[in-house]
Amino acid sequence: MNWSSISSTFLLIAFFVYLVAFFLFVVSIVGKKWSNRNPEEHTKRWGTVAYTVAVIGFACQVTFFFTRWYSGGHIPTSNLYEFLTFLGMMIMLAFLIIYMIYKSPVLGVFALPVGFIMIAYASVFPSEIQPLIPSLQSYWLKIHVTTAAAGEAFFAIGFAGGLMYLLRTIDYNGKSKSDRKEQRGVEFTLFFILLLVAFIVGVFSFNAAGYHAQFSKQVTVTDDSGQSQTITQTEQYFLPPIVQPNGTQIDEMKSFLGVSKPLFEAPSWMNGSSAGRKLNTVIWTLILGSLLYGLLRLILRKPLGAAIGPVVKGIDAEDLDEISYRAIAIGYPIFTLGALIFAMIWADKAWGRFWGWDPKEVWALITWLFYAVFLHLRLSKGWQGKKSAWLAVIGFVVVMFTLIGVNLVIAGLHSYAGV
Amino acid sequence: MIHNTKCDCGHQNPVGTVLCESCGKPLLDDKDNELLEMRYDGVARRSQKVNPSYLDKVWNFFSSVKIAIYLIFITLLGSILGTIYPQENTFIDLDPSTYYQDNYGTLGHIYYLLGLSHTFNSWWFITLLFMIGTSLVICSLDRVLPLYRALSKQQLRKHQSFLTRQKVTYSGELPSGVEPEAWTSQFAAQLRKKSYRVHTEGTALLAEKYRFSRWGPYINHIGLIIFLLGVLMRSIPGWHMDQYMGFIEGEIKQIPNTSYYLKNEKFTLELYSEDEMSEGFKEKNQSVPKTYETKAVLYHCVMSCDDPSQEEVLEEVHRADIIVNKPLNYKGLMAYQFDYKSTPMLISVKPTLKSKVTGEEFGSFELPMTKQLESYEAGAYTLKLKGFFPEFGLDDKGQPMTKSNDPLAPAFIFNITGPGLASGGEPYMYFPRQIDKETFRQDDINGAISQKLDLSVGSMEGVKIAEYTSYLNIRVDKAMPYIWVGAAISMIGLIMGFYWQHRRIWLRIDDRQVTLGAHTNKNWFGIRNEVAAALNKGSITVDAKALEKGGKSA
Repeated sequence: MNWSSISSTFLLIAFFVYLVAFFLFVVSIVGKKWSNRNPEEHTKRWGTVAYTVAVIGFACQVTFFFTRWYSGGHIPTSNLYEFLTFLGMMIMLAFLIIYMIYKSPVLGVFALPVGFIMIAYASVFPSEIQPLIPSLQSYWLKIHVTTAAAGEAFFAIGFAGGLMYLLRTIDYNGKSKSDRKEQRGVEFTLFFILLLVAFIVGVFSFNAAGYHAQFSKQVTVTDDSGQSQTITQTEQYFLPPIVQPNGTQIDEMKSFLGVSKPLFEAPSWMNGSSAGRKLNTVIWTLILGSLLYGLLRLILRKPLGAAIGPVVKGIDAEDLDEISYRAIAIGYPIFTLGALIFAMIWADKAWGRFWGWDPKEVWALITWLFYAVFLHLRLSKGWQGKKSAWLAVIGFVVVMFTLIGVNLVIAGLHSYAGV
Repeated sequence: MIHNTKCDCGHQNPVGTVLCESCGKPLLDDKDNELLEMRYDGVARRSQKVNPSYLDKVWNFFSSVKIAIYLIFITLLGSILGTIYPQENTFIDLDPSTYYQDNYGTLGHIYYLLGLSHTFNSWWFITLLFMIGTSLVICSLDRVLPLYRALSKQQLRKHQSFLTRQKVTYSGELPSGVEPEAWTSQFAAQLRKKSYRVHTEGTALLAEKYRFSRWGPYINHIGLIIFLLGVLMRSIPGWHMDQYMGFIEGEIKQIPNTSYYLKNEKFTLELYSEDEMSEGFKEKNQSVPKTYETKAVLYHCVMSCDDPSQEEVLEEVHRADIIVNKPLNYKGLMAYQFDYKSTPMLISVKPTLKSKVTGEEFGSFELPMTKQLESYEAGAYTLKLKGFFPEFGLDDKGQPMTKSNDPLAPAFIFNITGPGLASGGEPYMYFPRQIDKETFRQDDINGAISQKLDLSVGSMEGVKIAEYTSYLNIRVDKAMPYIWVGAAISMIGLIMGFYWQHRRIWLRIDDRQVTLGAHTNKNWFGIRNEVAAALNKGSITVDAKALEKGGKSA
């Protein structure tokens, strides 16, 4: 056993402990109606147990973090895998803090999944410890990345609170146009989360089954000295190819469900790096996510929102509104400091300019502006309740795009944090 | 339209006042049980004038938070557009008119034509930033002054309806057997324990804490204004310089528009060794750079700097090993490691002059690729330099010429004088690189002299090669202190505004009837609990949640 594998084991333990904590939180809410008990006392007792278990899970993840740091010799926040596990850890910490203030077990039912889905999602990315490239060799890597993640973690709790508020207040029996719009909005948000779950499950299943396919094509590249040469570009697939990269030939492909050839080829304008593979992943995610959603609908026989709704029924809607807002209000200064000010200081040191309109920088600014709008609407225009909850939900989508979408879709200077 | 702004208590309020400045009685509406609008404490803002002039209208426009929100949101959308394709400023040498077409097709070309390839320098984006700046100034001034006035002259005894229409409120009988004044003072003591500043006047009470947090947003805005001004100041001539320069090893180059010269003594590229990699990573077989380092020397020109006919006199002023994250910094002149390129190029050779007949070596000399001497000595021979072609070639007419100033295929023409040669000397052409010597047939060109003498480098030891060109980003940015100060002030404001909340509790007792109202600008949960705890200590049992009127019946 070396440190790096001890470290990974602790993350796995943390993940399962979080799952247990989540189920305990669910019991603390759902079990209220069980016979032979005082509902309030039940929630309080089980909530405390669940919280304790969540703290144990957090301790395991902290162990993971520091053993990995020791093993790699640098803070494990230098690629997407490390960053997302760290973000998951910060979300747990933010949850533990907000729980201390509001003592609301139902928050665990929603905030914990945000945290452990993040950790599961992280595991999709290559997890080996990589050597640190020159631009990351700075103590600002520790300061900037950790504070930015901490701020975003509070936004994640704000998201969980907002979603809970919506589930609590939306009228699932309502037939009016606005009721339907809201129902669909929440349903879409839940579907989106299911897509992420389906993606993670899909990647893990096919990886476990050892699925592999390879495509290649000849491309002409021009090197620095202006000489062109032809090289073979290969693309590895770990999900069965539904779509193959444009203009490639099949080198190797295991047949899947009797299909031994990709169904179609990516259009020619999709020529970005690994565009074909990414398209294939998106298609798989949509298929698996829809299957998962359909299956759940079939079992529950009602919209998911209506099924989850009762969990938050007994909770005061205003409290949820305040939890969501409070989390964002705590997170905003931390985010400003970590994702903008510290980022500018580091950028000034490393790249010689504090601001360069790099896509990642711009998206951090967009996130900041978005929450600035949220705060101004709330404080000066009285946007509370549903409007505020929707903004909290959308805000976190912006955060996630900034963290992951930019790396996968736009790239730019932060591209080393990608896969 | 003319609204009587004189309150029942006798106080004359300015137009636009929502709550009487003195007693807090609502002036505008008569809806008895709705929550009061407590924003800016209900004072009139500067922008609420009866007959606005032209200037007032501009002021009113920028003083609107709604406008500010629109401005922020439009900036947000504009920024998103700016991230669709890489911006022009990401590249050093780029022809945008073809780049976007070539790389992103028609959509890319449209992107370029719309000017989105330089979104963040476009007139409309800069206008938006200007407008946000203006809005920051005006919005803040419009509110902070009246608010300051209102908070610094608060009346203790508030109107009954001011208290009952707060979000957190309580009305009830005083517990029997307690004197109103005694109860008030013990209630005050409870609140003092919670670090409230309490003022009492008989049975009227005002408890207040963390008022400073009200100034947080305005301090944040001041910081942002300074920050934006800092950004603007970079356009002052001389305040901002930003250029990328390639320095080949050994070369001294002037930094344009300054009297400084920089030399790249050596560039090092170090890769991670296998034992520094984790087990999992080794399998990937990737090489990862560990360090890029430029050993740089900075010179200052002290004499004949602008005189092209004379050699500049340079004086070394600073020396630094520039690595990524650790720039050279000399009195505000910064040099950052930006990029490198492998550009093997000759720096100098040390050829030896030999007799072709006997093999006798006459002597050798150092021959650099730049700044050669007029003549060189090798034993009894003198080699006078007649011509130098860094990248030798022949033009259309077959005449020798140089294709560039980089020593890629150097050629020298000497006139050699010495024993056994014609008295006026004989021309000798010398190609240091073996491959050029053969391509251009050095011996045939030189003719007879090539039978007598040979000039060549014996071994690689006599050859100095520059491996790399190091690209440095040379910058001066005098506005940086303003930007950091702005950011720091802004951060202080954010922390003040978000981590503390301005909480106030008012109380009055009329004939044993207690009326309490409480207000905070954030975190109702916290103030609710504090009020309930203090009331409970005074034997008035009340559930914290029941204090809050908002939405549900208390």
